[in-house]
Amino acid sequence: MVMDFEFRKQVMDYHQGSEVIKYCYQCSRCTDNCPVSYVTDEFYSVKYNPRYNILNALLGYKDKIFSADPLAIWGCTVCDTCDEVCPQKIELTEVFTLLKNQSIANGDGPDFIYQQAKTVIENGKAIPMQSAIERRRQQMGLPDIMAPNADELQSLMSNMGIDKKLK
Amino acid sequence: MTEYKMFEGCTIGNRIPFIEAATRRVFEKLGVETSEAPFSCCPDPTGFKSFDDDGWLAMGARNLCIAEEEGKDIISLCNGCTNTLRGVQHKLKHDSLKKEKINSELSKIGKSYKGSVDVKHFVDVLRHNVGLDKIKSAISKPLEGLKVACHPGCHYMRPHEWMETDDDPMRPKTLRELVAATGATVVDYEEEVICCGSAVSNAYEEIGMQNLKRKLDGVMKAGADILVVNCPACFQQFDTNQRTLSKEFEAKYNIPVLYITELYALAMGVSPDDIGLKYHRTRLRDIEPLGL
Repeated sequence: MVMDFEFRKQVMDYHQGSEVIKYCYQCSRCTDNCPVSYVTDEFYSVKYNPRYNILNALLGYKDKIFSADPLAIWGCTVCDTCDEVCPQKIELTEVFTLLKNQSIANGDGPDFIYQQAKTVIENGKAIPMQSAIERRRQQMGLPDIMAPNADELQSLMSNMGIDKKLK
Repeated sequence: MTEYKMFEGCTIGNRIPFIEAATRRVFEKLGVETSEAPFSCCPDPTGFKSFDDDGWLAMGARNLCIAEEEGKDIISLCNGCTNTLRGVQHKLKHDSLKKEKINSELSKIGKSYKGSVDVKHFVDVLRHNVGLDKIKSAISKPLEGLKVACHPGCHYMRPHEWMETDDDPMRPKTLRELVAATGATVVDYEEEVICCGSAVSNAYEEIGMQNLKRKLDGVMKAGADILVVNCPACFQQFDTNQRTLSKEFEAKYNIPVLYITELYALAMGVSPDDIGLKYHRTRLRDIEPLGL
């Protein structure tokens, strides 16, 4: 297993208080409280294991993280429970965000995430308005939703090069 | 009372507007004033943040700029939107380099983020700004005898550094207090703070369904008549997926799901037709205290 020091530095820099992540002593409170680990636990083999992700990130085992089944990263349901139960105050979900962002940049993320990002950037909304819903809003006496300035939002995103990550 | 900028969010505004209808009725009765603004998607803390964290910060900060231009705090009807907007605020407050970077991007579209407005989840506004006394006096049809299981949802209270609610992130009580104010009985169940499974469903539907099953098994075991929520993503997970879940696991899942403001609207005497209860996927059974 090769340690990727550049990747390790990215993980450290990403975490607010870069030293904190080193305090992980693998106690497994994160995995023990993770709702996804709970339902993917098959006789001592947990398919989604936040504790392993932190260990591998901490050691700079980049290949091990990104060559595994994408479930190892994308099984996270972003419930932030691990952050709350961690006795060392490690922001696990933030580290997992970095892993997900890199998985997306590698082109390995779930289709839904690319599709949703495309919809948001193109329309300014994750769910574009439909005429049937517009009518329903009127029937219920709701005010019209003010349209977002999608052009401005697209400029913001393309200036930052974010649209280049779309598939 | 202060006027808030309404952040109804994509899901409530553009997919399940009947929840907005109930919420606006309740706000009217309790004197919570709101006005509209051309907000974009928040964007959501599970999808877009996973796509690109800096993009998430910039888009969220742009929405905060829009509220700052009017000098008004935001009231959000959704856990995800509240979580994003409060999270963006938290990160830019504590990371000056990041704030500089985001502001240099925002300046290219003529905006500048200062950090001068607050973002409130509507549940906190009801509990702390309106208060239980005022809510109780607005209730004309008390719901005595109704057994309610609460699901506040992850992003209402976690991570606590972002959300800064008075609540314990693992033992929240605000939603329970709001439900109890109607005269209904709040039932305990072990899985109350566990995720509904909505976010992971986007990549792995079967895992989301297993989460949903675990939650609903707990709710049914506790003998609840209904489940009350304050997040549209959780609402959809519970309301639309019970039929599929019943087929998959050859069991009967049909717990009616109500948004806390729908429960309030009914307890305050609003007609079910005016708040579009018929658009619920899991039918609201003939539960006597609800008077449907």
